[in-house]
Amino acid sequence: MVSKVLTVPNAQGFHMRPASVFAGAMGKYPCNVFINFNGNKYNAKSTLNLIAACMKCGSEIELVCDGDQEEAALAEGAKMIEDGFGE
Amino acid sequence: MKGIGVSAGIGIGKILLVEEHSVEYTPKQVEDAVAEKSRFRNSVEQFCNNTRVQAEALRKSAGDKEAEIMLGHISIVNDPFLLGEVEKLIDAGQCAESSFDSMCEMFISIFSAAEDDLTKQRATDVRDVRTGVLSILLGIKEVKLSDVPEGTVICVKELTPSMIAEIKKENIAGILTETGSTTSHSAILARVMEIPAVMSVPDIMTSAENGSVVILDGSKGTVIISPDEAQIADYTEKREKLLREIRELQKYRGKPTVSADGTEYELVCNIGKPDDAAKALEFDGEGVGLFRTEFLFMDKTSVPSEDEQFAEYKKAAMILGSRPLIIRTLDIGGDKDIPYLGLAKEENPFMGFRAIRYCLKNRDLFRIQLRAILRASAFGNISIMFPLITCVEEVREGKALVEQLKAELTEQGIEFDRNIKVGIMTETAAAGIIADLLARESDFFSIGTNDLTGYTMAADRGNSDVSYLYSALQPAVLRMIRSIITAARNNNIPVGMCGEAAADPLMIPLLISFGLTEFSVSAPSILRVRKCISDWTKEKADEITDKVMSLATESEVREYLSSVIVA
Repeated sequence: MVSKVLTVPNAQGFHMRPASVFAGAMGKYPCNVFINFNGNKYNAKSTLNLIAACMKCGSEIELVCDGDQEEAALAEGAKMIEDGFGE
Repeated sequence: MKGIGVSAGIGIGKILLVEEHSVEYTPKQVEDAVAEKSRFRNSVEQFCNNTRVQAEALRKSAGDKEAEIMLGHISIVNDPFLLGEVEKLIDAGQCAESSFDSMCEMFISIFSAAEDDLTKQRATDVRDVRTGVLSILLGIKEVKLSDVPEGTVICVKELTPSMIAEIKKENIAGILTETGSTTSHSAILARVMEIPAVMSVPDIMTSAENGSVVILDGSKGTVIISPDEAQIADYTEKREKLLREIRELQKYRGKPTVSADGTEYELVCNIGKPDDAAKALEFDGEGVGLFRTEFLFMDKTSVPSEDEQFAEYKKAAMILGSRPLIIRTLDIGGDKDIPYLGLAKEENPFMGFRAIRYCLKNRDLFRIQLRAILRASAFGNISIMFPLITCVEEVREGKALVEQLKAELTEQGIEFDRNIKVGIMTETAAAGIIADLLARESDFFSIGTNDLTGYTMAADRGNSDVSYLYSALQPAVLRMIRSIITAARNNNIPVGMCGEAAADPLMIPLLISFGLTEFSVSAPSILRVRKCISDWTKEKADEITDKVMSLATESEVREYLSSVIVA
């Protein structure tokens, strides 16, 4: 299991577009991917879960990948968040 | 009846009550979970196919962005978590309907409880998806809004994007709903499609009847069910007049902005985001006279990087191509706070540490922004504009920094526009008084009438005790504007106006007479201002202006202008 603590940088946070792009990207990996935020654990392959989490600009979150290709999943996921989903 | 007018225009037509299809079902236990899951999967697939068709219809009627939102429904229904949980419920013996319904319900309640509007609106999308999939599972035929006759007023509890996707706009006279407001997604769609709409009309579904005649006014929010003949005649006339005006204005689309005696003016837009540049063009603006950059800095936790800013400026420049794009450097302070910049609380923020004053003292931040603008200038027709100039030193210092950064970029072999223009906002009383001195140091002026009026009159428009003083038609403000324009003309530099006054029909003849060269207004005002300018010759404008400048009070000025200008 690998993980990284990140801060959501884009103004709108995990709204519809970033959430679906992110969930889609994580969906390609065989490992489990989830996000710890505000004491809850969210399935990061699910757009709906990500939106429900209400992660805003400035929110501190932990991205956790567990299973096959966990390193690659973490690297790609962390980069997407750090880049603010290209917004 | 009264609701919220969300999409302007008057609609007169016959009501069609669109009942949300009852997607009621009796939950039952299933034995063959494998068959039930396959039934569910097939329905999801069919839903996706339907949605793709609707999205393409919407792409034609409302544009790409709306189509993308519609396609978002496909990603909702294919959500791995949602599908996984539904299948678990089916495995546990529940039917597909109740399994899918309960999972949707869960997300609807989570999203509805959210604090921000953006998330709340997602509840509508999930509801739409739920109705769509359940209808397929239950074999319910959906209401075909595509087949309704001309002159239909759609009346519905909640308007969903998939309903709008079905609509042929030439057949729809108006839309009435029980829920929603100006910012609802369906309201935005109604505006894009130019269908008059009133939302949040209480109990409209129970008080209206199928086939009844109804009048709706999408600007005022008025709804009249079964109107009498006088009302119909009255509103028919209003409607014709509105349509005539709209048609009349359309004649000015794609035309240059010229006065009645052939002088050409530049008519551009004020924008706050790079995407607004596209909107400016859509409304037939000839470029951008004011790009406010504050948005880039808001809702952030730190100063946006040079690359980040570069990308935004470049985006706007690319949209506009060779058309002008004037980027105003950061105008914070006053009433615009950005927490991470750590601006101290001030006794008198409008007289305090703001805009160019702040930027010149915080060089690191200013350098980042100016470098980003310079780099973007390689991709379009960009000018730089400094806000809140009060003395010549500020212009010199700002320009020196631009020169220094140009040298730096040249050394690094980075492209930029070597002839980039650097101008200033003339929006303080000081700038108005020394406009002759400032004109020698600037490539152009832009008069910000909102601040200029406040600073000249020493009056806060937000304070109701003194707001009567706040008017651009005050003799003091008019003299200020005249002296700024005269100073610019004497130095042969362009002078524009980017405040609200630039779109005021009472002000336009005065600006023509003073010699303004550029009008920068909000996108929806473009055609109206173009028409207004076309009504005037210099001679006629001079005549009126001479009279105005001889009047002693604001009320005399306003009264006189209103009497000679029929807006």
